[in-house]
Amino acid sequence: MGLGAIVVIGAEFEGVHSTAGAESEQQFLLAEPLACIDVLGRSMTERTVERFVRAGVEVISVLVPVEMAHMVQPCSVSFENLKTQVVADVSSAVTQKLKDFSRDGVEHAFVVCASVYTETDLLDLFYFHREARQAATRALDSDGSLNLWVVDCAKAHHSDLEDLLAQAEGAAASYFIRDYVNRLNHPKDLRQLVSDALRGRCGMRPSGVELKPGIWVDEGAEIDRRARLVAPAYIGRGCKIQEDTLITRCSNIEKGCYVDYGTVIEDSSILANTHIGIWLDVCHAVANGNKLLSLGRNVILEISDRSIMRTIGSAREESRNNSLDFYEAQQVITDLNEQEQPEEPRTPKAGSSEPILSRGEVYVQ
Amino acid sequence: MYSRGPVIVMELPETLNHAEGQKFVGELQPLLEVHRPRIVLDCSQVQQMDSAGIETLLYCMQEAMKRDGDLKLAAVSPASATIMELMRADRLFEVFETAEEAARSFQAVALPDEQSLPWYSSGLGLADLKIAS
Repeated sequence: MGLGAIVVIGAEFEGVHSTAGAESEQQFLLAEPLACIDVLGRSMTERTVERFVRAGVEVISVLVPVEMAHMVQPCSVSFENLKTQVVADVSSAVTQKLKDFSRDGVEHAFVVCASVYTETDLLDLFYFHREARQAATRALDSDGSLNLWVVDCAKAHHSDLEDLLAQAEGAAASYFIRDYVNRLNHPKDLRQLVSDALRGRCGMRPSGVELKPGIWVDEGAEIDRRARLVAPAYIGRGCKIQEDTLITRCSNIEKGCYVDYGTVIEDSSILANTHIGIWLDVCHAVANGNKLLSLGRNVILEISDRSIMRTIGSAREESRNNSLDFYEAQQVITDLNEQEQPEEPRTPKAGSSEPILSRGEVYVQ
Repeated sequence: MYSRGPVIVMELPETLNHAEGQKFVGELQPLLEVHRPRIVLDCSQVQQMDSAGIETLLYCMQEAMKRDGDLKLAAVSPASATIMELMRADRLFEVFETAEEAARSFQAVALPDEQSLPWYSSGLGLADLKIAS
Protein backbone atom coordinates (compact mmCIF):
# COMPACT_ATOMS: atom_id res chain seq x y z
CA MET A 1 0.00 0.00 0.00
CA GLY A 2 3.05 2.30 0.39
CA LEU A 3 2.62 3.98 3.73
CA GLY A 4 5.12 6.34 5.36
CA ALA A 5 5.24 8.53 8.44
CA ILE A 6 6.83 11.85 9.29
CA VAL A 7 7.25 12.53 12.98
CA VAL A 8 8.00 16.14 13.83
CA ILE A 9 9.60 17.08 17.14
CA GLY A 10 9.10 20.45 18.75
CA ALA A 11 6.63 23.31 18.66
CA GLU A 12 7.86 24.99 15.48
CA PHE A 13 5.76 22.80 13.31
CA GLU A 14 2.74 23.30 15.54
CA GLY A 15 3.27 27.06 15.38
CA VAL A 16 2.72 26.99 11.63
CA HIS A 17 -0.72 25.58 12.19
CA SER A 18 -1.63 27.66 15.22
CA THR A 19 -2.16 25.01 17.82
CA ALA A 20 0.76 25.83 20.10
CA GLY A 21 -0.15 28.54 22.54
CA ALA A 22 1.83 30.50 25.06
CA GLU A 23 1.95 27.33 27.12
CA SER A 24 4.59 25.86 24.86
CA GLU A 25 6.95 28.54 26.18
CA GLN A 26 6.57 27.09 29.58
CA GLN A 27 7.62 23.65 28.50
CA PHE A 28 10.85 25.11 27.14
CA LEU A 29 11.50 26.90 30.39
CA LEU A 30 11.13 23.62 32.12
CA ALA A 31 13.09 21.35 29.83
CA GLU A 32 13.49 20.09 26.33
CA PRO A 33 10.32 19.54 24.26
CA LEU A 34 7.97 17.25 26.11
CA ALA A 35 8.10 14.82 23.19
CA CYS A 36 11.78 14.21 23.95
CA ILE A 37 11.66 13.60 27.66
CA ASP A 38 11.22 10.17 29.12
CA VAL A 39 7.76 9.36 30.36
CA LEU A 40 7.63 6.12 32.33
CA GLY A 41 10.93 5.03 30.89
CA ARG A 42 10.57 5.96 27.22
CA SER A 43 10.22 9.17 25.25
CA MET A 44 7.02 10.04 23.42
CA THR A 45 9.00 10.11 20.17
CA GLU A 46 10.02 6.50 20.68
CA ARG A 47 6.51 5.50 21.57
CA THR A 48 5.12 7.29 18.49
CA VAL A 49 7.68 5.63 16.20
CA GLU A 50 6.89 2.27 17.75
CA ARG A 51 3.17 2.72 17.11
CA PHE A 52 3.88 3.40 13.45
CA VAL A 53 6.14 0.36 13.21
CA ARG A 54 3.38 -1.77 14.72
CA ALA A 55 0.86 -0.31 12.26
CA GLY A 56 3.03 -1.58 9.40
CA VAL A 57 4.36 1.75 8.16
CA GLU A 58 7.21 1.07 5.74
CA VAL A 59 9.34 4.16 6.18
CA ILE A 60 9.53 6.62 9.07
CA SER A 61 11.28 9.94 9.12
CA VAL A 62 11.85 11.89 12.35
CA LEU A 63 12.46 15.61 11.79
CA VAL A 64 14.21 17.61 14.48
CA PRO A 65 14.49 21.43 14.25
CA VAL A 66 18.15 22.43 14.38
CA GLU A 67 17.67 24.50 17.55
CA MET A 68 16.52 21.39 19.37
CA ALA A 69 19.13 19.00 18.08
CA HIS A 70 21.18 19.20 21.26
CA MET A 71 18.19 18.13 23.33
CA VAL A 72 17.12 15.13 21.31
CA GLN A 73 18.46 11.67 21.97
CA PRO A 74 18.64 9.26 19.03
CA CYS A 75 15.61 6.99 18.84
CA SER A 76 16.34 3.55 20.22
CA VAL A 77 13.59 1.75 18.28
CA SER A 78 15.22 -0.80 16.00
CA PHE A 79 13.63 -0.31 12.58
CA GLU A 80 15.73 -0.31 9.46
CA ASN A 81 13.71 2.35 7.59
CA LEU A 82 13.84 4.88 10.38
CA LYS A 83 15.77 8.04 9.65
CA THR A 84 16.32 10.98 11.97
CA GLN A 85 17.13 14.30 10.35
CA VAL A 86 18.07 17.66 11.80
CA VAL A 87 16.37 20.37 9.73
CA ALA A 88 16.50 24.16 9.58
CA ASP A 89 12.92 24.70 8.42
CA VAL A 90 10.37 22.14 9.46
CA SER A 91 7.65 23.07 6.95
CA SER A 92 9.88 22.87 3.90
CA ALA A 93 11.50 19.70 5.24
CA VAL A 94 8.09 18.02 5.57
CA THR A 95 7.16 19.15 2.05
CA GLN A 96 10.43 17.79 0.71
CA LYS A 97 10.02 14.54 2.60
CA LEU A 98 6.52 14.03 1.15
CA LYS A 99 7.93 14.59 -2.33
CA ASP A 100 10.68 12.06 -1.62
CA PHE A 101 8.09 9.57 -0.42
CA SER A 102 6.02 10.11 -3.57
CA ARG A 103 9.10 9.57 -5.74
CA ASP A 104 9.95 6.37 -3.85
CA GLY A 105 6.47 4.95 -4.35
CA VAL A 106 5.03 5.74 -0.94
CA GLU A 107 1.46 6.79 -1.68
CA HIS A 108 0.29 8.04 1.69
CA ALA A 109 2.02 9.33 4.77
CA PHE A 110 1.09 10.16 8.32
CA VAL A 111 2.34 13.53 9.47
CA VAL A 112 2.34 13.85 13.25
CA CYS A 113 3.81 15.95 16.01
CA ALA A 114 5.70 13.63 18.31
CA SER A 115 4.04 14.99 21.40
CA VAL A 116 0.55 13.87 20.34
CA TYR A 117 -0.29 10.66 22.13
CA THR A 118 -3.29 8.82 20.79
CA GLU A 119 -4.32 5.22 20.95
CA THR A 120 -6.43 5.35 17.85
CA ASP A 121 -6.14 2.64 15.21
CA LEU A 122 -3.76 4.26 12.73
CA LEU A 123 -4.72 1.89 9.94
CA ASP A 124 -8.37 2.76 10.43
CA LEU A 125 -7.40 6.42 10.05
CA PHE A 126 -5.54 5.58 6.87
CA TYR A 127 -8.49 3.63 5.40
CA PHE A 128 -10.79 6.50 6.29
CA HIS A 129 -8.50 8.91 4.44
CA ARG A 130 -8.26 6.67 1.39
CA GLU A 131 -12.01 6.23 1.15
CA ALA A 132 -12.60 9.95 1.57
CA ARG A 133 -10.32 10.60 -1.45
CA GLN A 134 -8.95 13.81 0.04
CA ALA A 135 -5.52 15.34 -0.33
CA ALA A 136 -5.16 15.36 3.43
CA THR A 137 -7.25 14.22 6.37
CA ARG A 138 -6.83 15.65 9.82
CA ALA A 139 -7.67 13.80 13.01
CA LEU A 140 -9.67 15.48 15.73
CA ASP A 141 -11.16 14.63 19.06
CA SER A 142 -13.76 16.18 21.32
CA ASP A 143 -11.30 18.96 22.26
CA GLY A 144 -10.62 19.95 18.65
CA SER A 145 -8.09 19.28 15.90
CA LEU A 146 -5.00 17.21 16.53
CA ASN A 147 -1.60 17.52 14.90
CA LEU A 148 -2.09 14.24 13.14
CA TRP A 149 -2.77 14.06 9.43
CA VAL A 150 -2.77 11.50 6.66
CA VAL A 151 -1.53 13.03 3.44
CA ASP A 152 -1.63 11.90 -0.15
CA CYS A 153 2.05 12.15 -1.11
CA ALA A 154 1.36 12.54 -4.85
CA LYS A 155 -0.79 15.61 -4.17
CA ALA A 156 1.91 17.01 -1.92
CA HIS A 157 4.11 16.95 -4.99
CA HIS A 158 2.05 19.72 -6.56
CA SER A 159 1.28 21.98 -3.64
CA ASP A 160 3.16 23.20 -0.62
CA LEU A 161 2.53 21.91 2.87
CA GLU A 162 0.57 24.92 4.10
CA ASP A 163 -1.94 24.58 1.26
CA LEU A 164 -2.15 20.84 1.64
CA LEU A 165 -2.84 20.92 5.35
CA ALA A 166 -5.22 23.85 4.90
CA GLN A 167 -7.17 21.60 2.55
CA ALA A 168 -7.46 19.11 5.40
CA GLU A 169 -9.00 21.85 7.55
CA GLY A 170 -11.64 22.57 4.94
CA ALA A 171 -12.09 18.94 3.91
CA ALA A 172 -15.54 17.42 3.98
CA ALA A 173 -14.43 14.60 6.23
CA SER A 174 -12.21 14.65 9.31
CA TYR A 175 -11.36 11.59 11.32
CA PHE A 176 -12.89 11.70 14.78
CA ILE A 177 -10.93 9.91 17.50
CA ARG A 178 -12.91 8.43 20.34
CA ASP A 179 -9.93 6.66 21.91
CA TYR A 180 -7.52 8.05 24.48
CA VAL A 181 -5.73 11.26 23.41
CA ASN A 182 -3.18 13.44 25.20
CA ARG A 183 -1.73 16.42 23.35
CA LEU A 184 1.18 16.84 25.76
CA ASN A 185 1.25 20.60 25.24
CA HIS A 186 1.94 21.43 28.86
CA PRO A 187 3.64 19.71 31.80
CA LYS A 188 0.12 19.33 33.25
CA ASP A 189 -0.63 17.02 30.33
CA LEU A 190 2.50 15.07 31.23
CA ARG A 191 1.21 14.55 34.77
CA GLN A 192 -2.18 13.55 33.39
CA LEU A 193 -0.59 11.02 31.04
CA VAL A 194 1.54 9.51 33.81
CA SER A 195 -1.44 9.29 36.12
CA ASP A 196 -3.64 7.73 33.43
CA ALA A 197 -0.93 5.22 32.50
CA LEU A 198 -0.23 4.18 36.09
CA ARG A 199 -3.93 3.87 36.86
CA GLY A 200 -4.51 1.81 33.71
CA ARG A 201 -6.78 4.41 32.11
CA CYS A 202 -4.82 4.27 28.88
CA GLY A 203 -2.84 1.67 27.01
CA MET A 204 0.60 3.11 27.80
CA ARG A 205 2.66 0.80 29.98
CA PRO A 206 5.71 1.78 32.02
CA SER A 207 8.98 0.09 31.18
CA GLY A 208 10.41 -2.26 33.79
CA VAL A 209 8.52 -4.71 35.95
CA GLU A 210 5.49 -4.38 38.16
CA LEU A 211 6.95 -5.52 41.49
CA LYS A 212 3.65 -5.16 43.33
CA PRO A 213 0.30 -4.03 41.95
CA GLY A 214 0.84 -0.47 40.76
CA ILE A 215 4.54 -0.31 41.69
CA TRP A 216 6.71 -0.27 38.59
CA VAL A 217 10.48 -0.48 38.92
CA ASP A 218 12.89 -0.39 36.01
CA GLU A 219 16.21 -2.21 35.85
CA GLY A 220 19.09 -1.13 38.05
CA ALA A 221 16.96 0.94 40.43
CA GLU A 222 18.12 0.85 44.05
CA ILE A 223 15.41 1.37 46.60
CA ASP A 224 16.26 1.42 50.29
CA ARG A 225 14.35 -1.01 52.50
CA ARG A 226 13.08 1.89 54.55
CA ALA A 227 11.77 3.85 51.57
CA ARG A 228 8.02 3.69 51.11
CA LEU A 229 6.46 3.34 47.69
CA VAL A 230 2.70 3.70 47.74
CA ALA A 231 0.97 2.55 44.54
CA PRO A 232 0.72 3.72 41.92
CA ALA A 233 4.32 4.84 41.38
CA TYR A 234 7.15 4.38 38.91
CA ILE A 235 10.90 4.25 39.61
CA GLY A 236 13.07 4.50 36.50
CA ARG A 237 16.28 2.84 35.41
CA GLY A 238 19.28 3.33 37.68
CA CYS A 239 17.42 5.49 40.22
CA LYS A 240 18.52 5.60 43.82
CA ILE A 241 15.83 6.06 46.43
CA GLN A 242 17.15 6.63 49.92
CA GLU A 243 15.68 5.66 53.28
CA ASP A 244 12.56 7.26 54.75
CA THR A 245 11.47 8.66 51.42
CA LEU A 246 7.86 8.40 50.34
CA ILE A 247 6.92 8.13 46.67
CA THR A 248 3.19 8.18 46.09
CA ARG A 249 0.10 9.33 44.17
CA CYS A 250 1.13 8.44 40.63
CA SER A 251 4.59 9.93 40.93
CA ASN A 252 7.19 8.93 38.38
CA ILE A 253 10.91 9.13 39.00
CA GLU A 254 12.63 8.86 35.64
CA LYS A 255 16.02 7.28 34.93
CA GLY A 256 19.16 8.19 36.83
CA CYS A 257 17.44 10.20 39.57
CA TYR A 258 18.52 10.34 43.19
CA VAL A 259 15.97 11.00 45.92
CA ASP A 260 17.65 11.70 49.22
CA TYR A 261 16.74 10.85 52.79
CA GLY A 262 13.28 11.70 54.12
CA THR A 263 11.92 13.41 51.01
CA VAL A 264 8.29 13.04 49.97
CA ILE A 265 7.41 12.93 46.28
CA GLU A 266 3.68 13.21 45.86
CA ASP A 267 1.69 13.56 42.62
CA SER A 268 4.88 14.69 40.87
CA SER A 269 7.13 13.85 37.97
CA ILE A 270 10.89 13.91 38.50
CA LEU A 271 12.49 14.05 35.09
CA ALA A 272 15.64 12.11 34.25
CA ASN A 273 18.95 12.72 36.05
CA THR A 274 17.59 14.95 38.79
CA HIS A 275 18.98 14.99 42.32
CA ILE A 276 16.40 15.79 45.00
CA GLY A 277 17.90 16.70 48.38
CA ILE A 278 16.95 15.65 51.89
CA TRP A 279 13.72 16.37 53.77
CA LEU A 280 11.86 18.02 50.95
CA ASP A 281 8.22 17.95 49.94
CA VAL A 282 7.77 17.79 46.19
CA CYS A 283 4.04 17.96 45.70
CA HIS A 284 1.98 18.40 42.51
CA ALA A 285 5.05 19.47 40.56
CA VAL A 286 7.38 18.60 37.73
CA ALA A 287 11.09 18.74 38.60
CA ASN A 288 13.93 18.75 36.12
CA GLY A 289 17.49 19.36 37.31
CA ASN A 290 17.39 22.56 39.34
CA LYS A 291 14.04 23.66 37.93
CA LEU A 292 10.75 23.00 39.62
CA LEU A 293 7.39 23.72 38.09
CA SER A 294 4.61 23.92 40.64
CA LEU A 295 1.49 22.90 38.76
CA GLY A 296 -0.83 24.12 41.49
CA ARG A 297 0.60 27.63 41.51
CA ASN A 298 1.81 27.62 37.92
CA VAL A 299 5.28 28.97 38.75
CA ILE A 300 8.71 27.79 37.71
CA LEU A 301 11.51 28.01 40.26
CA GLU A 302 15.17 27.85 39.43
CA ILE A 303 16.93 26.63 42.53
CA SER A 304 20.54 27.68 42.90
CA ASP A 305 21.23 25.73 46.09
CA ARG A 306 22.74 22.52 44.76
CA SER A 307 22.00 20.64 47.96
CA ILE A 308 18.26 21.04 47.32
CA MET A 309 17.97 20.20 43.65
CA ARG A 310 20.38 19.78 40.78
CA THR A 311 21.11 17.87 37.62
CA ILE A 312 23.32 14.89 38.23
CA GLY A 313 26.54 15.99 36.53
CA SER A 314 27.91 12.89 34.90
CA ALA A 315 24.48 12.00 33.58
CA ARG A 316 24.14 15.43 32.00
CA GLU A 317 27.45 14.99 30.22
CA GLU A 318 26.51 11.52 29.08
CA SER A 319 23.18 12.81 27.82
CA ARG A 320 24.95 15.58 25.93
CA ASN A 321 27.35 13.10 24.41
CA ASN A 322 24.41 11.06 23.18
CA SER A 323 22.47 13.97 21.72
CA LEU A 324 21.96 14.34 18.00
CA ASP A 325 23.95 17.56 18.04
CA PHE A 326 27.00 15.87 19.46
CA TYR A 327 26.55 12.93 17.15
CA GLU A 328 26.54 15.28 14.18
CA ALA A 329 29.58 17.20 15.44
CA GLN A 330 31.40 13.93 15.76
CA GLN A 331 30.39 13.00 12.22
CA VAL A 332 31.68 16.34 10.90
CA ILE A 333 34.99 15.93 12.67
CA THR A 334 35.30 12.36 11.44
CA ASP A 335 34.52 13.47 7.88
CA LEU A 336 37.11 16.23 8.08
CA ASN A 337 39.68 13.81 9.35
CA GLU A 338 38.89 11.42 6.53
CA GLN A 339 39.55 14.15 3.97
CA GLU A 340 42.86 15.16 5.49
CA GLN A 341 46.09 13.29 5.11
CA PRO A 342 47.27 11.68 8.35
CA GLU A 343 49.49 14.10 10.22
CA GLU A 344 51.98 13.83 12.99
CA PRO A 345 50.17 13.75 16.32
CA ARG A 346 49.85 17.28 17.70
CA THR A 347 51.22 18.00 21.12
CA PRO A 348 49.66 20.65 23.33
CA LYS A 349 51.60 23.87 23.63
CA ALA A 350 52.83 24.65 27.11
CA GLY A 351 50.18 26.61 29.02
CA SER A 352 47.63 26.11 26.26
CA SER A 353 44.21 24.71 27.04
CA GLU A 354 43.50 23.97 23.40
CA PRO A 355 41.95 20.54 23.02
CA ILE A 356 43.48 18.02 20.68
CA LEU A 357 41.02 16.53 18.24
CA SER A 358 41.85 13.39 16.43
CA ARG A 359 39.76 10.72 14.81
CA GLY A 360 37.25 9.26 17.20
CA GLU A 361 37.97 11.82 19.87
CA VAL A 362 35.87 14.83 20.56
CA TYR A 363 36.59 17.38 23.20
CA VAL A 364 33.70 18.12 25.49
CA GLN A 365 34.00 21.12 27.74
CA MET B 1 -9.15 41.73 80.34
CA TYR B 2 -7.17 41.00 77.22
CA SER B 3 -3.72 42.09 76.12
CA ARG B 4 -3.96 44.38 73.11
CA GLY B 5 -0.37 45.26 72.32
CA PRO B 6 0.39 46.65 68.89
CA VAL B 7 0.59 44.37 65.87
CA ILE B 8 3.76 45.21 64.02
CA VAL B 9 3.79 44.84 60.26
CA MET B 10 7.22 44.61 58.65
CA GLU B 11 7.90 44.42 54.95
CA LEU B 12 10.40 41.79 53.88
CA PRO B 13 13.09 42.86 51.37
CA GLU B 14 12.97 41.94 47.68
CA THR B 15 15.66 39.32 48.12
CA LEU B 16 15.63 37.15 51.19
CA ASN B 17 18.96 35.38 51.28
CA HIS B 18 21.60 35.00 54.00
CA ALA B 19 22.94 38.55 53.84
CA GLU B 20 19.57 40.30 53.51
CA GLY B 21 18.13 37.98 56.13
CA GLN B 22 20.80 38.94 58.67
CA LYS B 23 20.16 42.60 57.98
CA PHE B 24 16.44 42.12 58.36
CA VAL B 25 16.81 40.20 61.63
CA GLY B 26 18.98 43.03 62.94
CA GLU B 27 16.11 45.47 62.30
CA LEU B 28 13.43 43.18 63.68
CA GLN B 29 15.31 41.95 66.77
CA PRO B 30 14.31 44.84 69.12
CA LEU B 31 10.67 44.29 68.20
CA LEU B 32 10.96 40.59 68.91
CA GLU B 33 12.39 41.16 72.36
CA VAL B 34 9.22 42.62 73.85
CA HIS B 35 6.70 40.54 75.81
CA ARG B 36 4.28 38.74 73.46
CA PRO B 37 5.45 40.24 70.18
CA ARG B 38 2.78 40.20 67.47
CA ILE B 39 4.46 40.41 64.13
CA VAL B 40 3.15 40.32 60.58
CA LEU B 41 5.75 39.92 57.84
CA ASP B 42 4.50 41.35 54.57
CA CYS B 43 6.06 39.28 51.79
CA SER B 44 4.55 41.24 48.90
CA GLN B 45 7.94 42.66 47.84
CA VAL B 46 9.81 39.34 47.98
CA GLN B 47 11.06 38.35 44.54
CA GLN B 48 13.70 35.84 45.55
CA MET B 49 13.96 33.63 48.56
CA ASP B 50 16.34 30.79 49.31
CA SER B 51 16.84 28.29 52.11
CA ALA B 52 18.69 30.90 54.19
CA GLY B 53 15.67 33.17 53.78
CA ILE B 54 13.42 30.46 55.12
CA GLU B 55 15.79 29.97 58.04
CA THR B 56 15.46 33.70 58.74
CA LEU B 57 11.67 33.38 58.88
CA LEU B 58 11.93 30.36 61.15
CA TYR B 59 14.35 32.18 63.44
CA CYS B 60 11.96 35.16 63.74
CA MET B 61 9.06 32.84 64.46
CA GLN B 62 11.07 30.99 67.10
CA GLU B 63 12.05 34.24 68.80
CA ALA B 64 8.44 35.45 68.82
CA MET B 65 7.17 32.17 70.23
CA LYS B 66 9.83 32.11 72.92
CA ARG B 67 8.24 35.27 74.27
CA ASP B 68 4.72 33.92 73.99
CA GLY B 69 4.02 35.88 70.82
CA ASP B 70 3.37 34.90 67.25
CA LEU B 71 4.51 35.70 63.74
CA LYS B 72 2.28 35.52 60.67
CA LEU B 73 2.97 35.95 56.99
CA ALA B 74 1.00 37.99 54.50
CA ALA B 75 0.93 38.36 50.71
CA VAL B 76 3.23 35.41 50.02
CA SER B 77 3.92 35.15 46.29
CA PRO B 78 3.31 31.82 44.54
CA ALA B 79 7.07 31.36 44.06
CA SER B 80 7.83 31.95 47.76
CA ALA B 81 4.93 29.69 48.74
CA THR B 82 6.35 26.96 46.50
CA ILE B 83 9.80 27.22 48.11
CA MET B 84 8.24 27.12 51.55
CA GLU B 85 6.21 24.07 50.61
CA LEU B 86 9.27 22.38 49.11
CA MET B 87 11.20 22.92 52.33
CA ARG B 88 8.24 22.02 54.54
CA ALA B 89 8.08 25.42 56.15
CA ASP B 90 4.57 26.20 54.87
CA ARG B 91 2.84 24.25 57.62
CA LEU B 92 4.65 26.20 60.35
CA PHE B 93 3.31 29.62 59.44
CA GLU B 94 -0.14 31.10 59.29
CA VAL B 95 -0.40 32.79 55.91
CA PHE B 96 -2.89 35.51 54.97
CA GLU B 97 -3.74 37.25 51.71
CA THR B 98 -3.00 40.73 53.02
CA ALA B 99 -1.17 42.31 55.96
CA GLU B 100 -4.49 43.78 57.20
CA GLU B 101 -6.07 40.35 57.35
CA ALA B 102 -3.08 39.00 59.22
CA ALA B 103 -3.19 41.89 61.71
CA ARG B 104 -6.93 41.43 62.20
CA SER B 105 -6.39 37.75 62.94
CA PHE B 106 -4.33 38.75 65.99
CA GLN B 107 -7.25 40.82 67.30
CA ALA B 108 -9.64 37.96 66.79
CA VAL B 109 -7.67 35.56 68.96
CA ALA B 110 -6.07 38.05 71.35
CA LEU B 111 -4.37 36.31 74.23
CA PRO B 112 -5.74 36.97 77.71
CA ASP B 113 -3.50 38.59 80.34
CA GLU B 114 -1.70 36.30 82.73
CA GLN B 115 -3.72 37.47 85.75
CA SER B 116 -7.00 36.65 84.09
CA LEU B 117 -5.98 33.17 82.94
CA PRO B 118 -7.99 30.31 84.48
CA TRP B 119 -5.96 27.98 86.71
CA TYR B 120 -5.85 25.20 84.10
CA SER B 121 -4.06 27.37 81.57
CA SER B 122 -1.71 29.15 83.89
CA GLY B 123 1.27 27.17 82.75
CA LEU B 124 1.22 24.66 85.60
CA GLY B 125 1.70 21.04 84.70
CA LEU B 126 0.16 18.07 86.48
CA ALA B 127 3.24 17.68 88.64
CA ASP B 128 2.96 21.31 89.72
CA LEU B 129 -0.67 20.80 90.66
CA LYS B 130 0.19 17.86 92.87
CA ILE B 131 2.82 19.86 94.70
CA ALA B 132 0.45 22.79 94.99
CA SER B 133 -2.26 20.66 96.57
